[in-house]
Amino acid sequence: MRGVAPVFRREFGGALASPVAWVTTVVLVLVLHSAFFFLGFPVGDRALPAFWTGRTASLDALFAWLPLFYAVLAPALTMGSWAEERRAGTDELLFTFPVRTRSLVLGKFLAAWILLGSITTLAILPVARLVAGVGPLDWGTVWGGLLGAWLLAAVCTSIGLATSALAREELVAFLVAAVLLLLLWSLGLFVRVLPGTLAEVAWYASPSLHFLESGARGVLDARDLVYYGLFVASGLTLNLAVLEGRRWG
Amino acid sequence: MIRVEELTKSYGEVRALDRVSFEVPVGQVVGLLGPNGAGKSTTMKILVGFLRADAGVCVVDGRRIDPEDPASKEPIGYLPETTPLYPRMRVAEYLDFVGSMRGLARASRAYSTARVLDDCDLRGWERRRIGTLSKGYRQRVGLAQALLADPKVLVLDEPTSGLDPGEIARIRALVQRLGETKTIVLSTHVLAEVQETCRRVIILAGGRVVADGSTLDLAEEEDVELHLTLGAAESGVEEVLGALRALAGVRAVRRIGMDAGRVALALAVDDRWSAAHTISSEVQRRGWRLLELRHDLPSLERVFLSRTEARATAEASE
Repeated sequence: MRGVAPVFRREFGGALASPVAWVTTVVLVLVLHSAFFFLGFPVGDRALPAFWTGRTASLDALFAWLPLFYAVLAPALTMGSWAEERRAGTDELLFTFPVRTRSLVLGKFLAAWILLGSITTLAILPVARLVAGVGPLDWGTVWGGLLGAWLLAAVCTSIGLATSALAREELVAFLVAAVLLLLLWSLGLFVRVLPGTLAEVAWYASPSLHFLESGARGVLDARDLVYYGLFVASGLTLNLAVLEGRRWG
Repeated sequence: MIRVEELTKSYGEVRALDRVSFEVPVGQVVGLLGPNGAGKSTTMKILVGFLRADAGVCVVDGRRIDPEDPASKEPIGYLPETTPLYPRMRVAEYLDFVGSMRGLARASRAYSTARVLDDCDLRGWERRRIGTLSKGYRQRVGLAQALLADPKVLVLDEPTSGLDPGEIARIRALVQRLGETKTIVLSTHVLAEVQETCRRVIILAGGRVVADGSTLDLAEEEDVELHLTLGAAESGVEEVLGALRALAGVRAVRRIGMDAGRVALALAVDDRWSAAHTISSEVQRRGWRLLELRHDLPSLERVFLSRTEARATAEASE
């Protein structure tokens, strides 16, 4: 599909060249690491001790923080994807190039997703090596968790992109996406107290919960792939629909 | 090369285009004129596949423009009104990006980039970040991206807006040169620019085409006054006025000047060629001393005002 590769290169290169993106990423990764080593995950009924306190060779607490990490970083990386193009008027030129709109969406999605996935990998692997140095780390769980993290990153990226397409301002895109991702994460807090059907709905609606109960434990099956795939496809379809709707003025 | 047929577009309750139709043959440079809100930019945005029309079609190079049909947009190079560019990219890097988006292979991109850098006088500026360029240079980059894939059709929305006189002259010269090989649709508020660069003018007002033709044809269609200067004493002026008013084809005569032994008159006539003949015969028959008989074609500005005001009046009465 013509247009995917150049848009990907432009977006990915642009993010790498942006000092703001670097600073945001470094700060968030430091916060994630600090939380893992010193705070643990003290939220809900999945509370986990800090690494230094629990003294178990496991990355569970690190993976438990990932949905919240993504709730901030994914919107930060995607907020400008469409909102900035719209503000600067560059979308007008972009849409007149001889490429399909879905190529533009896919190019931007892949750039933000691979960036977010790479940041996750770079944030997790050094910690995994350190943990493996002090105890018997189950590397299968780590690799499974990373795969799940990439899938969750895809979902968060597609939601971030869709809100960026909807918003006129980057800040609004960031806030809406962050609130939406936090809401989806918070569904997990209520699953156990909700009545049967509602709990099921919450379970299906929360990609974070899916991640915590499958990917984060190193257990992924075909149903999870379909689930994440459908979520991503929905986000990208919404993105496409918003952009197409704008062509009608 | 370009066929626009019954193009209609509304933004909510506001009708921006109302059955706009025109055709532009290969190699013609057409100026799209109109007051603010006339529908120029909307027409261009539909023509280049950015917006969808509510009704009507645009056909370019034999293919109907469809935003989701990449091939339909291939023959068009477009420079939007605000020249939107990516300020953090370098000039060459940006042109390479545009080349990729237009499907040019790597070698072809390098060749095309070199060509447009020369065409747009951007040599030496390849490594500069776009955000650090002056408005004139950004405009050149905008034009360079429009020309990169050597399109058959160029759509330029106010290409000289906000530029200094030197840049304006440079871009006009470039447009004139490009017009020798390409079909160009150019929107502008600067009437002198149209006269200088365009063979044909389409005037839009209130979302409709109110005039379409060469600047000469459009001027010819306007009411033309004949200017007559005779050698006459002041005492004889009334007789002259009376005789001219009685001539067939002369609707009105007014005195526009009088000095020692000369009177200057303006005559509103039905047909300037036959009226000129009638008047000169009458002058000869009466033995008046003819000093000057001429007609002045109305300026493009007068044509523009006349057509757009007529449309505004029609809209007010609708």
